[in-house]
Amino acid sequence: MAERLRSSRTAALVAVLLLRRMALLVVLLVMTFLAVEILPADAARATLGFEASPAELAARRRQLGLDQPVAVRFLHWMRGLATGDLGVSARGRQVWDIVGQPFQNTLVLGALALVLTVLAALALGSLAVLRPGKLLDRGVRSLSTMILTLPEFVVANGLIVVFALGLHLLPSVTVTSSSGKPASPAMLVLPILALAMRQIGWNTRIVRSALAEQLPAPHVDSAIMDGLPRHRILIHYMLPGALPTIAAGVATSVGMVLGGVVAVETIFNFPGIGAVLVEAIRNRDAPLVAAVVALTGLVITVVLMASDLVRAWAVGRKP
Amino acid sequence: MTMSRRHLLHAGATAGAALFLSACGNGGGSTSGATAVGTPRPGGTLTIGALGRASAITRDPHGVQVNESDYLILSLLYDTLTIPGSSSIVAPRLATRWEPSADLRRWRFELAEGARFHDGTPLTSDDVVWSMRRLRESSIGVSRLPGIDVQGITSDGPRVVIVESNYPNSAIPVLMRLTTFVIKNGTTDPAGSPGTGPFRLEWFSNGNARLVRNDNWYGGRALLDAIEVRLFESPQAMANAALSGEIGLASNVGTVAARVAEGRDGVKIVRRKNDTALMVVMRAADGPYADPRVREAFRLAVDRQTMVRQVLSGYGSVGNDILGTADPAYARDLPQRRQDVARAGALLDEARFDRSVSHQILTTEDVPGLAESATLFAQQMQSVGVKIQVVKQESSTFLGQSRGKAPLYTTYWGTNDSVIFCAGKLLLSDSQFNEAAWHDPAFDNAYRSALSTADPERSIQLMRDLQKIEYDGSGYLLWGMAEGMDIAKNTVQGLPQLPGYGRVQLEHTWLSA
Amino acid sequence: MKRVLRLLPALAVILLAVVGPLFAAHSSTEPVTAPYALPGPGTPLGGDQVGRDVLSRLLIGGRDLMIASALIAVIVTGLAAILGAVAALRPRLGAVIEQTADLLILLPVALGIMVIGVAWPGSGRIPVIVAAIVLGTPFAFRVAAAAAAPVAASGFVEVASARGERTLSLVIREILPNLRATLLTLLGLRFIEAVYVVATASFLEVGAQPPTADWALMIRENADGTLLNPWAVLAPSLAIAVLTVSVSLAFDVLTPQARNRMVTRL
Repeated sequence: MAERLRSSRTAALVAVLLLRRMALLVVLLVMTFLAVEILPADAARATLGFEASPAELAARRRQLGLDQPVAVRFLHWMRGLATGDLGVSARGRQVWDIVGQPFQNTLVLGALALVLTVLAALALGSLAVLRPGKLLDRGVRSLSTMILTLPEFVVANGLIVVFALGLHLLPSVTVTSSSGKPASPAMLVLPILALAMRQIGWNTRIVRSALAEQLPAPHVDSAIMDGLPRHRILIHYMLPGALPTIAAGVATSVGMVLGGVVAVETIFNFPGIGAVLVEAIRNRDAPLVAAVVALTGLVITVVLMASDLVRAWAVGRKP
Repeated sequence: MTMSRRHLLHAGATAGAALFLSACGNGGGSTSGATAVGTPRPGGTLTIGALGRASAITRDPHGVQVNESDYLILSLLYDTLTIPGSSSIVAPRLATRWEPSADLRRWRFELAEGARFHDGTPLTSDDVVWSMRRLRESSIGVSRLPGIDVQGITSDGPRVVIVESNYPNSAIPVLMRLTTFVIKNGTTDPAGSPGTGPFRLEWFSNGNARLVRNDNWYGGRALLDAIEVRLFESPQAMANAALSGEIGLASNVGTVAARVAEGRDGVKIVRRKNDTALMVVMRAADGPYADPRVREAFRLAVDRQTMVRQVLSGYGSVGNDILGTADPAYARDLPQRRQDVARAGALLDEARFDRSVSHQILTTEDVPGLAESATLFAQQMQSVGVKIQVVKQESSTFLGQSRGKAPLYTTYWGTNDSVIFCAGKLLLSDSQFNEAAWHDPAFDNAYRSALSTADPERSIQLMRDLQKIEYDGSGYLLWGMAEGMDIAKNTVQGLPQLPGYGRVQLEHTWLSA
Repeated sequence: MKRVLRLLPALAVILLAVVGPLFAAHSSTEPVTAPYALPGPGTPLGGDQVGRDVLSRLLIGGRDLMIASALIAVIVTGLAAILGAVAALRPRLGAVIEQTADLLILLPVALGIMVIGVAWPGSGRIPVIVAAIVLGTPFAFRVAAAAAAPVAASGFVEVASARGERTLSLVIREILPNLRATLLTLLGLRFIEAVYVVATASFLEVGAQPPTADWALMIRENADGTLLNPWAVLAPSLAIAVLTVSVSLAFDVLTPQARNRMVTRL
């Protein structure tokens, strides 16, 4: 009975969280439309180019509905969104046709980068915390700070010069196959590294400090007194307590990875959503920008919720 | 007129292949020595990188093609009536012959024998008329077919198309290049619809495509079995792909990338002269540059050699403020402007140009070298005591707010093989692209007379007059012509060396062993 | 003594960035060699995209970047501290602030930078600073709020509150002084983050305008020529890395008691 009560309460909690996050997403989309609106020049000029005459521009503005107030356009777009229709881009293509495949490609790239991030951060953070203040610890911390500041595009250029043009080990760019996906898995390696590097820096710091916080905890202390092996203490006694912090850090990384793809995709010619976003802003293409924001916002929302749940679970678990 | 037309015909029909062959292989940058050309042989697949943006993909041959990759695919699939030629401005393609009426208003284009669509349907003049009318009615039809109304495009039997201009226009065949792509009469969805071009479409995916040879092409079979086009968002990524061998040809990759390729084994660079004109626009209608003496002073203050050396790494030539440098009629006898600080300073004094305040030059990063040229220009203007501040704008902001409006900004132009074409597009008083807002009735008259003159001797003289006016007074400071730079594997032979969109003619390209 | 020693790198870098322009052999705008020329006599780090001296530009280009990043870090940390303290004291207001922060966290960084950069008339450094503040404050706020909550709940604050002190004076007198350690660590992290944002913005064509010498801009504008003269990109990249590592080291030394505290971004 208590069990059922608890699970239904959890369900209600999840529903509230979900509603709140969804409401945030809608507000974000309103902001997106408004932001595109305040940019200088408009979609008609941006997509027709310098060649267009005033009459042609006016015709295109009517066609795109730019002669209507932004609120009307936004509501129209939101109505479509409710039925899964992302609308039509400033160049007259279905938005889903433009973002669908690139979004999937970016998801694959981002997810793999995140997996690498988590593994590397856990490994490095654990290594450092086992020898606090020692050379290894200091080395890991300096290194993670250093790569933290290097923007993805700098890392990407460096990787290309070394691994593609210098050693000829890996492809320097992504070539797309007929399916719209990267033609070979090897093409993912350098973009993943470029994306993950900075996140590894962040998360190593977080993992290290989250684990270090557990050191003074009584159960950890007694485990050390008992002379348990280090890796056992780490995994069974320290990691569970550090998990909410680590999960929160990783969740934040998702947003940062999605920000980093803009540069990484451009440099590796990766057919993803980052390049679409840059172009959409350049074209003042509100439906397209909003679609990208909606999709990436959705991903971040889901991940943040997952991290909220981990925290809730960890709090509930505490004696 | 007639003479030059015969000349064109000759070039297009018989000497075409040989011409392309002699033009290839001397890319100049290759150090590997593997440029021995040998006999053209059919076969093989060439992967070409071309610039484009995924969100701007256009598959409509009559749409606004901002992507070079889209344009490349379209021009392999579809034929235009005429194309840019190697020995003269216009060469035949779908139209094999053309002839104007005496008043140069009514032009007859005869269509190629045996032209068929990829699905086997024979091409007729109805298809051409329908396609051209569709182009004329498109969002940018007026600028693509200026002076031609929808009713002015008609047929005269199945093999002849008539184009009527609202005014005498000797340059109609030039207008028929580049975008008069022919699709089937009544096509509802132009994306991937059959064309008559040397290659047909196998697949298309997000701006990338595979095209295979059209064995029944009326112009003779192309040599390559297939061409794969890959879209690249950045020239740097494309250059890296060419350097690491992932693509066989990087089209229009820029001078810096070409310099990188120069020292590398296995690849060569192809230099296409007179590809892009790089200019500073000085607004002539009003503002600080309305005084022609100020504009002349600016033209004299610039050190063009240094600009070409520092901005284009030397891959270019100095300009002389006249557009259309690759035109056989280009006025080479006008004295080359050189830096003359003393004269420039005197002119600025005379015009009482305000040198106490800082002036802005607006620029953007649309083509490589543009923003750098503004930086260097500003630096050079210090030599005459003019303070220039560089303001770099984002592409669309520049397009919407600055191009054609600002007093001083950088610009570029990509079709430079016709003086008359550039004159009509960019310099005529009532042209909507009159970027410098320059209005000179004498120039307008010279333009109209040049267009309405059929006599070749007189035409040459009129063209000379037109260029003299442009040289003396226009709002342009054309400091240099950037070469078009491609990177190709050493095995790729017979690549076109034409500037601008002449680079898409790939039917004579082949792969050596 | 050892602590002072570890402050030295940061002091040296800052000093070099400030007085660096004095040592530049060439002007930062005038071409002195071929574009992307390799190091040669007079140009120890070679030429950049239009043949300007990389070393001179390197010496000149650190100061403004450093000032901008420091400004961002201070403002973000300050805003976050005040908002965090207010949120801890006034839960209802806190909920609103938290919602806003959650909203901004959903915004892709690149989008924020581009929108602010493009919309800002005239462009230049100010839009980057604004973008970095708008995008960075929500993350910093979460840290500050988490640290402020226990302080706000402590007895002396409740006593002060009962005395009828106003919120602002409570924040300044009672709460912020107790957050010193957290805020110092936060400041160090925000500085590092600010350098990253400024550099990324320059990749997106937002920020310092050419022909300004600026490390971030140098990395971007010379990226095409990495293979011709690697120093044109490598030198400013290393400079940024050295700057941030040494600053982070210095903050570590200045806040010893906070070394093992959790300062995450959530």
